[in-house]
Amino acid sequence: MTDRPSILVPIRVLEGESIPEGVPDLLANGHVVLLGYHVIPEQTATGQAQMQFEDRATERLDEYQAMFEEAGATVERRLVFTHDGQKTIDRMTTEHDCLAALVPNATGSVEDVLVAVRGTVGVDRIAHVVAGLFGMTDASVTLYHVAEPDETDEDVGTLLDGIVNRLKDLGMDASRIETRVERDQAAFDAIVDAADAFDVVVMGESDPSLATFVFGMPADQVADRFLGPVLVVQREPSEGTE
Amino acid sequence: MTEQPADAEPTGKNIAGEAPVAEPEAVTDDTTVHDDDVELERTIGLVGGLAIGIGTMIGAGIFVFPGLAAANAGLAATLSFAIGGLIALLVALPTSELATAMPRSGGGYYFISRGMGTAYGAIVGLGLWLGLMFASAFYLVGLGHYASAVFAELGIGLPFSPVIGIGLLFGAALTALSIGGTENTAKIQNVVVGILLVVLTGFLSYGVLDAVGVFGSGTVPEQFFSRGYFPVLTTAALVFTSYLGFAQVATVAGEIKQPGRNLPLAMVGSVLIVTVFYVVTIFVATSAFGAERLGQFGETAMVEVARDFLGLPGAVAILGAGLLATFSSANASILSASRAVYALSRDALLPRKASEINLRYGTPHVALLAAGGPILALVATGQVELLAEVASFLHLIMYGLMCVALIVLRRRSPEWYAPSYRVPGYPVVPAVGALASFGLIAFMQPASIGIGIVVMLVSYLWYRYYAGNVTLKGDV
Repeated sequence: MTDRPSILVPIRVLEGESIPEGVPDLLANGHVVLLGYHVIPEQTATGQAQMQFEDRATERLDEYQAMFEEAGATVERRLVFTHDGQKTIDRMTTEHDCLAALVPNATGSVEDVLVAVRGTVGVDRIAHVVAGLFGMTDASVTLYHVAEPDETDEDVGTLLDGIVNRLKDLGMDASRIETRVERDQAAFDAIVDAADAFDVVVMGESDPSLATFVFGMPADQVADRFLGPVLVVQREPSEGTE
Repeated sequence: MTEQPADAEPTGKNIAGEAPVAEPEAVTDDTTVHDDDVELERTIGLVGGLAIGIGTMIGAGIFVFPGLAAANAGLAATLSFAIGGLIALLVALPTSELATAMPRSGGGYYFISRGMGTAYGAIVGLGLWLGLMFASAFYLVGLGHYASAVFAELGIGLPFSPVIGIGLLFGAALTALSIGGTENTAKIQNVVVGILLVVLTGFLSYGVLDAVGVFGSGTVPEQFFSRGYFPVLTTAALVFTSYLGFAQVATVAGEIKQPGRNLPLAMVGSVLIVTVFYVVTIFVATSAFGAERLGQFGETAMVEVARDFLGLPGAVAILGAGLLATFSSANASILSASRAVYALSRDALLPRKASEINLRYGTPHVALLAAGGPILALVATGQVELLAEVASFLHLIMYGLMCVALIVLRRRSPEWYAPSYRVPGYPVVPAVGALASFGLIAFMQPASIGIGIVVMLVSYLWYRYYAGNVTLKGDV
């Protein structure tokens, strides 16, 4: 599998957000969709911000693009002025068919990757991201699953073995893949606790259930508490949106 | 996703050496695309568009005009509102076509400058900016009347009339608020409009049932044309200010999602909805009291109507609704005025500095202050009818010219002109729309017409002085 996974890197380009150390190397094997965006209040026309800030934003993005390209990634970029950052990020994800979005935090050289697996949904996309980004590196990958009370060991085994096989199909060395299963713990806390020992976290985008609606998406919460970068694997684009 | 080509390049420089900003490369359902992959996200949906239109319109028409209109035209004021609505519809349809062809910020100014040339554009653009100030001032004076009525209702006797003072206070507060960058202004506007429509629907349903006699009192006593026929038209000219909101939707056309679908729906839809509300309101109000007494109640006549039907709770509900509605109209107009400044300075007709954004709040403070200051001066005059008519005059000129611009564009049919919505009944509808818009002006007070003409003249002279070399008209 040689195609590079498309990874969205959203940066609030005019608010001092920049590309943290280590991130270009992290995505060296990926296809980076670099999104510089600027959110403006509703009483301002988006064009007004563009008129004033386009040059400054373009300059910064030039710099960032060079950083990624130097590290070896292929880069595509957009500069968007918007009233609604989330809408822009969602649209970019769909338009560029991004497998994952990066919550950029600084990292050193990547040696350990934590991959949080929730269920069978989205497993294929997770595998593509992991194999694409880390397949050619020396990083070790840990598949991590917090089992539900009614889940048998057998179920968990099938799930994780499936992913291991998938990764092997995609060219990864099986010796670098570990699996870990946790029980009797809330999934969210377990992931955050476990993440501390790793350089990068890969996790799926949660379903927009009531809990995530109220408390925010767990992926974002993990990103808030975990100091390193988090790759949020996006849900399959729903049918009929193309 | 549809993509359409954008308009022809503007050229030239103004006296300060600024050239118009280049046109975008393409327009999609979600964005306006500029070169080098720079995009402007579209984030206002159909509901947001309708809320802008209805929210701007419903404040003036229902809460300030019934008393004034009934005093002029009697029960036939219902017809005046219907005429206003019809003219608004005749203009809204062509405006929709233009907006789907050019979904960019600036509304009527943009369409006319691209269709008919810079001079017309400058007159309309600067006129629109000033017209919005007159409209905002009118709404704020109306707000002052409602707030004063609240004091009266509370039994607080003031030794002076607080109307203008309150208008000034709210004007300053709104300007400060929009500069300070309140989040979610659009959401608040949606909620306000929702509440208004619910309160009014309840109140009007009750009123209509009462007027036709279901609850016994059964009063539709008057002769319809109790003041004769001519006042129907002068009243239509006066109350046309009530319909100025639909074009405000076009001033944010650059930020509307799926513009080809949502712009026509929002503009035509909001005109239809408010026309129904207006006509029913005037009918209910005049049947409750008769035109004579209604006229004596002046700007807050609706409160007395509500009190007559539902007692104190009714009066309180309408007072609250009136405050909300005049507030939201004034707010929407101030924001539109700053959008107009942006469009003008983008095209180098005003200094670029005028639309500068302040870094801390991300708001166009120069434009907002440039609107807020004159508005306060206008509020201080306290002339409700004059303010309303000047606002109407300046807008009617723009509406008429938009209809003309549509005809011009259809005849020249330049390559970039590819509207996804086409006005039915071309060329009759835009032609009648133009004639009706210009015709309505004839029924205004001479003072309003005079002020309007001076504004246009000054706009033209400014263009000759400041940006005589700028060409905005799209080539064939």
